[in-house]
Amino acid sequence: MIDKNFAHPDALVTTQWVAEHLSDSGLRLIESNEDILLYDTGHIQGAVHIDWRADLQDETIRDYINVEQFSALCERHGISNDTTVVFYGDKSNWWACYALWVFRLFGHTKVKIMDGGREKWVAEGRHVTRAVPHFVHGHYSPSEKRRDDEIRAFYDQALAQSREGRPLIDVRSPGEFRGEMTHMPEYPQEGVLRGGHIPGAASVPWKMAVAEDATFKSYEELRTIYEDEAGLKRGDDVVAYCRIGERSSHTWFVLTYLLGYKNVRNYDGSWTEWGNRVGAPIEKG
Amino acid sequence: MSYPAKLSQIIELFETLPNSEKREALISYADSAMRQGPKDGETFDLEDIRKDEECTDSVGVFLKLSPTRECTFRVTLGPHVQTLTKAMTSILCKGLDGLTPEEVIEVPADFVPKIVGADLVRQRSQTVYYILTRMKGITKVWLNQERSAKHI
Repeated sequence: MIDKNFAHPDALVTTQWVAEHLSDSGLRLIESNEDILLYDTGHIQGAVHIDWRADLQDETIRDYINVEQFSALCERHGISNDTTVVFYGDKSNWWACYALWVFRLFGHTKVKIMDGGREKWVAEGRHVTRAVPHFVHGHYSPSEKRRDDEIRAFYDQALAQSREGRPLIDVRSPGEFRGEMTHMPEYPQEGVLRGGHIPGAASVPWKMAVAEDATFKSYEELRTIYEDEAGLKRGDDVVAYCRIGERSSHTWFVLTYLLGYKNVRNYDGSWTEWGNRVGAPIEKG
Repeated sequence: MSYPAKLSQIIELFETLPNSEKREALISYADSAMRQGPKDGETFDLEDIRKDEECTDSVGVFLKLSPTRECTFRVTLGPHVQTLTKAMTSILCKGLDGLTPEEVIEVPADFVPKIVGADLVRQRSQTVYYILTRMKGITKVWLNQERSAKHI
């Protein structure tokens, strides 16, 4: 049962809802994982695979694909402008939220997350298949430009946010926030020269928003975490960041869709940009 | 540099496969990863069980040498290890079986893209070399111990 107190309860669907809507022609399931072969080992019937790196990012420069490439990606998977896209994946929907955020970046509005993600679907013993679905190509009219100025923050904007004392949420692990490590526990060191956090940022690790079964916590629990404990206020202009923008897109989803904040941006350059940038101010501890 | 015979057979198999079948073959190898653990009653010259930052769960590498210095590897994997790591476990347990420690150390890592494909290596570079590094690591320890023993 989805908490109806969420600001946008329609953005979250249950595994049961997905099971009951597998045949809906206007709906497409997208699995997005950290484990790049996990989809191939079995997935929800009718789900297509979109990889955060191979499908959504430019192969050469550090940026996302362009609008034409996004349209081609959607059409390849039978997604049209009016298709409702339901995302799910491993790691408590971490990468699913990232893929959803990128879809929003390109202006696709009909997006949902399957609460609990792949873990919950599998834990409930629901059917998975290795059959890869093929769909008639959709027709996707590309938007004129990405919505970079609405839901994405760049270095200069994150710096301004810090200097002006506006809310910055650092969603990395406490050790990364304190500057004791430059990568997640259990993950490889991936080239950041300095540790710490953006001055003024509050530490709210992304996983605080997730329950043991990989579902999102209730509205009231989330409100307590982000407002009572981290000090966010309704109407705040918030920038969230992590290491490369993937964990912070999970928090972006929570703040935007579950708590209803209207001005949340994901700084996807995140710590791999900030911690390497010459002269970028850093706080430790 | 040429590859050991058993590994070479696996490489040749993968090189003939189109990308989609390559993925199927990797999953098939991943499915057999849990069978690469120690068998009942087996003993080993060295065991190295640990959780590294390079991998999402703990990995145990077990090394046994025959009287003629032929290596046998066994590997245990935690439940959160990723599919590519599982696949490389099965491939390497089979591909490096029977090599001498010196031969294990000399196996060049450039076979990995031939098996996994250049795209997967580029997209998930941290995953694909991990098991090979662990196997070479335990083998180096064994060689160092052997050298030390000779000097006593």
